[in-house]
Amino acid sequence: MNGMPRLILVLTLITAGAGLILSLVETVTREPIAEQRRLETLRALQAVLPPADNSPDEDTVQLLMGQDKRGRDVFRTFFRGRKGDDLSGVAFKVVAPDGYSGNITVMVGVDSEGTVAGIEILSHQETPGLGDKIVLPAFKGIFVGKNLENADWRVKKDGGEFDQITGATISPRAVVGAVRKGLEFFRDHQVKILAEAEAKAKAETKAKAEGDKP
Amino acid sequence: MTLGQEFRKGFWKENAVFRLLLGLCPALAVTTSAENGLGMGLATTFVLVCSNIVVSSLRKVIPAKVRIPSFIVVIASFVTVVQLCMEAYFYDLYKALGIFIPLIVVNCLILGRAEAFASKNRLVPAVADGVGMGLGFTLALFVLGAVRELFGSGTLLGYAVFGSSYQPLLLMILPPGAFIVMGLLLAGMNLLDARRN
Repeated sequence: MNGMPRLILVLTLITAGAGLILSLVETVTREPIAEQRRLETLRALQAVLPPADNSPDEDTVQLLMGQDKRGRDVFRTFFRGRKGDDLSGVAFKVVAPDGYSGNITVMVGVDSEGTVAGIEILSHQETPGLGDKIVLPAFKGIFVGKNLENADWRVKKDGGEFDQITGATISPRAVVGAVRKGLEFFRDHQVKILAEAEAKAKAETKAKAEGDKP
Repeated sequence: MTLGQEFRKGFWKENAVFRLLLGLCPALAVTTSAENGLGMGLATTFVLVCSNIVVSSLRKVIPAKVRIPSFIVVIASFVTVVQLCMEAYFYDLYKALGIFIPLIVVNCLILGRAEAFASKNRLVPAVADGVGMGLGFTLALFVLGAVRELFGSGTLLGYAVFGSSYQPLLLMILPPGAFIVMGLLLAGMNLLDARRN
């Protein structure tokens, strides 16, 4: 057997073998990868939320943000931390599209009044040694305790009160702007986010109470 | 060449980065720290050894006309295996290396060894070639990363070396630093070679 049929046969066999191996590896690594991603979200949530005794990554509410360029719906997920029956805080992701190099994803944690409890930089491609200082506790700490009323949400260079980093103004400016927009969205939809939280908590308590009945 | 020579050539005489000047994209891009260089080097070594084994074993089966697509399918499969395993078990390293893991597919070093060596030699020499070339590549990336990390952050493998008073030489971590360190190391190797002769 020579010529074209042999070429087709050999290539088909090689790609089929490759597909087989890949599906095996994918099956083995699927669970650990899902777990790693979940842990990453959970670590970020614990860093930004006030102490909670539930799993905030499982207690979520999704709100419609708008539509993307292709007309698909964009949702924002709110993770809710609880202490007992009370809501201790809400966390959500914001994306700063105007960083020095690519998007900066930030997890923001607020209490039920909309005051920042903590922020965490999830991903960024800022310049090493300059813009990447946004991941340092010294920068992230500035946000704690700030809300839309008690702070001027601009970097100092723009007349606000957030310290920029020496040699890098663009990255902090992008983070400050994104967090501010996130807080505004939270303020505008606060009732919905918190109400759904309470409704859910009540439903759970009710279900639990009914479950306890003999 | 003996088996030992096939193995050793990758470290100095035919070092991928400093002598063949192959695989420079990852060598320059990810070597901002010694750990990143080491991780990238070992991932590439794994892919290189595996692809050399498969290409060498199948060298009489694969017709010359479709050898390049076949090699690429083999290499891409092993790269995906590395990527999935790294994401599952070494998540921090996976985050640090980012886009450069899938880009191992287009590392000319791997296709180069498949085409120039593995497809023309028997299994055992092909493995020796892959291991030697891969470890030589790893060594080069590790040295590049170590020098850049030492001067650019004042640390080595994450441990502070110079103490807190050291003002990091930022340039070393930035892309130009990669070219400068690479050039200096190349010059140093040429000097040593010239002395020896």
